[in-house]
Amino acid sequence: MRGLALPLALAALLALAGLVAVDALRPSPALTRAEQARQIASELRCPDCQALSVAESRTASAAAIRAEIDELLAAGDSPDAVRSHFVERYGSWILLAPSTPLVWWLPVLGVLVGAAALTAWLWRGRSLPPMPAPGAPPNERLRARVREEEAELDA
Amino acid sequence: MPPGRLRWLLVPLVVVPLSWLLFAGLGRNPTDAPSPLIGKPLPSFADTTLVGDQFTSADLAGKPAVINFWASYCIPSCVEEHPFLLGLQADHGADLTLVGVLYNDAPNDALSFLARYGDGGWPNLLDASGRIAVELGVSGPPETFFVDADGIVRGRHIGPLDAASLAAGLAAIGVAS
Repeated sequence: MRGLALPLALAALLALAGLVAVDALRPSPALTRAEQARQIASELRCPDCQALSVAESRTASAAAIRAEIDELLAAGDSPDAVRSHFVERYGSWILLAPSTPLVWWLPVLGVLVGAAALTAWLWRGRSLPPMPAPGAPPNERLRARVREEEAELDA
Repeated sequence: MPPGRLRWLLVPLVVVPLSWLLFAGLGRNPTDAPSPLIGKPLPSFADTTLVGDQFTSADLAGKPAVINFWASYCIPSCVEEHPFLLGLQADHGADLTLVGVLYNDAPNDALSFLARYGDGGWPNLLDASGRIAVELGVSGPPETFFVDADGIVRGRHIGPLDAASLAAGLAAIGVAS
């Protein structure tokens, strides 16, 4: 089982990397203005509801924000400019998702760190001499283990 | 891997900062929401008042201003703060401009509210499209902005005004209360 762990972890990592690459490189069709407006609305928090986006809400303020998104896009503003227009008024509170793409990479970073730790642990087990069979004379690894446990008992 | 019992130090190292972060969040005052507009010029707007007059943000120039978002359905908060607004208009009506802005309300309901709780005579904008509220990043009534004589937003209060929040807001725009 231990022999399979490393290839499996590597395969999973490569598959994940492939998925990320495909998602990042996939050519996205140019959005129409209505689609752009809808996408921006779905990324903004409705100011006077609980946990709803501007696109989903039927309150007057959500309608006002949708109208303003349409106007700003029609005036030639980029989607990013429209988003920052609302951040300047409501604060980053209005955004439903974190604006720094860095945050999205944190889980990937966690997986990489975990994989590295697992690899290091497996590697250590492999590079040490094997434990002696019961009854065989103690080797350096067994002595080191005994010293470690004695120290723990003394502590 | 740290040897022996030392590795248990990892537990407080993770738990203590995390708990501190969460408990610090509990102590924050939700009515004291920092607005990104503070320190910036008031966005410009133009609208019709309840009595049919035209009002624009240019009418605020040269004097400090208090802009109060309210609604007739906003009970009890807007009813609670109304005496403070009437007092503000009576005491400081000459030194500052008080403006009400309806938040998603019907004009007739707003007029009944004023007839019932007192009409101080300051302009109340209809904001039928909700654009003024969006321009100022308002999330619901009551909400009050304090703007200085240079047209810079200096303070914002979410929730009903009381003596303390009104005094703090007035101090921020150079009006002695």
